Amino acid sequence: MAVSREEVVAVLAEESGLDPAKVRPEATFEELDIGSIDVASTLFAIEDKFGVVVDPDQLDPASTVSQFVDLVLRLAETPAA
Amino acid sequence: MSETRRVVVTGMGCVSGLGIGVEPTWRRALAGEGAIRPTVREAAGTLLDGPAAPVDAEALDAALTGLALRPLGMLDPLSRFALAAAAEAVAQAGLSDHPVFEARTAVLVGCGSGGNATVEAAYERLFAKGSARVHPQTIPASMLSAPASHLAMLLGVHGPTMAFSSACASSAHALGEAMHMIRSGRVEVALAGGAEACLNTGSWVGWKAIGAMADDTCRPFCATRKGMVLGEGAAMLVLESEEHAVARGAAILGELAGYGASSDATDMTAPDVDGISRAIRAALADAGVTPGTPALVSAHGTGTRLNDRAEAAGLRDVLGLALDGSTVIATKSAHGHLIGAVAALEFVLGLKALAEGLAPPVLNYREPEPECALPLALEAMTLPHEFLLSNSFAFGGLNAVLVGRRRA
Repeated sequence: MAVSREEVVAVLAEESGLDPAKVRPEATFEELDIGSIDVASTLFAIEDKFGVVVDPDQLDPASTVSQFVDLVLRLAETPAA
Repeated sequence: MSETRRVVVTGMGCVSGLGIGVEPTWRRALAGEGAIRPTVREAAGTLLDGPAAPVDAEALDAALTGLALRPLGMLDPLSRFALAAAAEAVAQAGLSDHPVFEARTAVLVGCGSGGNATVEAAYERLFAKGSARVHPQTIPASMLSAPASHLAMLLGVHGPTMAFSSACASSAHALGEAMHMIRSGRVEVALAGGAEACLNTGSWVGWKAIGAMADDTCRPFCATRKGMVLGEGAAMLVLESEEHAVARGAAILGELAGYGASSDATDMTAPDVDGISRAIRAALADAGVTPGTPALVSAHGTGTRLNDRAEAAGLRDVLGLALDGSTVIATKSAHGHLIGAVAALEFVLGLKALAEGLAPPVLNYREPEPECALPLALEAMTLPHEFLLSNSFAFGGLNAVLVGRRRA
């Protein structure tokens, strides 16, 4: 499934209750105050919308938005085994 | 024993089908404008319709705009109702960010059920869509105590915070127990009331299954009444020790002067006159009011065959001839039955009625029934009363009655 960078950022912003304009690529989850429950909700929505399952252990408070988006896009491009 | 500390009301807020905010709600109730209307709900292809008093979703969104809700996570309508009502009450009381929130404030929220819409969305995924996963915030958003936590988080209240659940009497118990926490000196301030969001398909169909729902409208104490009508919403009050309120120069809206609670211990759905009488007597005694004192009675008045007869008998039993000099209002005819939130909403409207000296009319009444003979305010009318007797009698036989007093 083709997933765009903007779509992933939009889901992250929506599930974390943030203005998408504030979700800059270089910002970390910690800087954006994206907590574990926001991450859980975001991963749930990502799986719902794009069929991509992200292991939450691959993310931590120091993860940046662009690292997260890259991870989702990479998994989306990987054909299901 | 030292003199009992008086407990006063310094802030009120509410959300219901009548509107968002105490002033518009009161104006509509007084004008005899009911909120009950044809309502439709749908989930997983199941359509449900009937009379109900739903909250205007856009008005609620507007009322919540500007509140710092993001740290609270996913919010069921249950919490959204409670947050709007609490924000209004705390703003009116002038207590935002007050140091008393550090430890000497309690938050007690009555709810008959939890976040029904959140549970429904999860079950719809599981059973209708065949998904094995539900939203990760399903539990924190739907638990019965979520509104209490959300209010404490929004307002920064660090004192005792919890939920009370006793079906249709939940918020009466919350207000009464909050009054005792202030009387005993455990806290100075309590944010107390209730919330309910039961107008989703899964919850509403359960209420319909009991067989106590009207298919036309809510007609309390009327001979042709057919049952209750659901509403939804919240009402929250700021209760405060009189000395704390006076010391900070707060405007006092009224007094919560007494509370009586009883359990029928007889039947899960049928009311019991003895249990009702016991709670009314206990509330009057607690307030130091003799049962011979005429009062404004805010009836439980659900419009069911059984409740209204039992309540009329209980009121006659306790008040005797004083009932004839009293005035009975039944505002569920306007805002429907908000289950866990309704006692607090009725206490808010009752205190407004006392303060303004005006009774909002009982709506949808057509003809009298001898077993329900009460001095009903069938039109808006002036009131001479100093005291409010506000009744709540819940499924499961859990009764709670509050006594309010007008401030001179």
